[in-house]
Amino acid sequence: MSAIQEDNDLVFHKICSLIEPINQKGLKLTRETDFIADLEAESVAVLDVVMEIEDNYDISIPMNVISEIKTIGELVDAIHEIKKQ
Amino acid sequence: MNLFDKFEDKAVVYNQLSDIGKNPFTVVMEEIISPTRAKIKGRETVLAGTHNYLGLTFQEEAIKAAQTALAEQGTGTTGSRFANGTFSGHRHLEEQLADYLGLGHCVVFSTGYQANLGAISALAHPGSDVILIDADCHACIYDGCQLSGAETIRFRHNSPESLDKRMARLDPELKGRLVCIEGMYSMFGDVAPIKEFAEVTHKHGGMLYVDEAHSFGVYGSTGRGCSEADDMMEHIDFYSGTFSKSLASIGGFVASRHKELEYLRFSSRPYMFTASPSPANIASATAALTAIRSKHEIRTKLWENVARLHGSIKQLGFTLAADPAPVISVLFPNREIAFAAWSFLLEQGVYVNLAIPPGTPNATSLLRLSVSAAHNGDDLDKIVAAYNGMAAQFVDAK
Repeated sequence: MSAIQEDNDLVFHKICSLIEPINQKGLKLTRETDFIADLEAESVAVLDVVMEIEDNYDISIPMNVISEIKTIGELVDAIHEIKKQ
Repeated sequence: MNLFDKFEDKAVVYNQLSDIGKNPFTVVMEEIISPTRAKIKGRETVLAGTHNYLGLTFQEEAIKAAQTALAEQGTGTTGSRFANGTFSGHRHLEEQLADYLGLGHCVVFSTGYQANLGAISALAHPGSDVILIDADCHACIYDGCQLSGAETIRFRHNSPESLDKRMARLDPELKGRLVCIEGMYSMFGDVAPIKEFAEVTHKHGGMLYVDEAHSFGVYGSTGRGCSEADDMMEHIDFYSGTFSKSLASIGGFVASRHKELEYLRFSSRPYMFTASPSPANIASATAALTAIRSKHEIRTKLWENVARLHGSIKQLGFTLAADPAPVISVLFPNREIAFAAWSFLLEQGVYVNLAIPPGTPNATSLLRLSVSAAHNGDDLDKIVAAYNGMAAQFVDAK
């Protein structure tokens, strides 16, 4: 967890820990970290991590929403948005 | 920045492989010798990487039927199923399939890909419906979801529990709930628990769509697929299949016990706006279906070959992806070793499929062997000998 930037947002911290398996380069994760450009993750690997996140928060994130998400910050925002509904 | 820039990274790898003459994705079969033999780079090779599960590509009756159809009905239909390309042969095959499957209705498409693309995209609409798909579903199911525009949610592979959770979370406003799974999955050769999926799907007011592309003609006591093996033929809502595997032709179909399946004929774009299957394709598929219905010994032979190959390969210490099935996949630690092993087997005169991420489950690298009922003793010996050699050469892979 030392690589994770200080952030008050609990969701952000939780997401970062769930994303660790695809952070193979050990990057310092920020809200701006891009899944494909920075983490060089395969799109399928991102979808698999999203299933972990869904079960953690007991929400479903449709693929149509996931395909619009590029960065960790956008994913955090999407989770907040779905939890509000 | 231009249109071609985005291809650069992949093109470098693709061209390098082509330059050294070892691109797994550009293999040409120069001469087809039999259902299980072809010349590749001038050399007779055992085909263990085509989906010719029942080995019917050279079946005498099928060839004769195709030749007759070609002579009597011409080379192509020059029309679409919807407008100007439905011949009596298309209708006859639909009736034969519906009768065999014991499902009242069947629609024939031009390929298996288009069957899934066409049915899924027409069945689900944005706003009112939701599609739930197994994470390991084939690309054509993903593409069908995308073309439909409906909200799509993935659940964990072969996990009815994961589906249950996701269906329980659905907005009650979403009325149409389509759940898509496959019978046997083509990458690992593993099989879906269809009974459990049907229970969960129906409990939440959904309809179950089962793609039996790789299991039609192969599983079940009369060859009707994994749905028959699980005694679920009367409970599933949609059944899709292809002509390009056990039926040894080209085309696809969707069958259903619901009469509303017929609505696809005026609402499925991949049905309406493409050329219908050629008379020869329809005739050979119809003949192959007759063989599947009457010659149970073909299926028996396939499963004997599966037992022998799965047993022999397992004994060599490789990690196999699933229990004995017509697809036998050996898992490798990374794509480089898998590629080297694929090249090794081809040099030994055995052609299998190399599968590497992103097209594989859990980003695995694997060699996929497709078993055929037409593999004779000599074919099986050659395959086992090549895998023996691979076991000695690639000790780290085990």
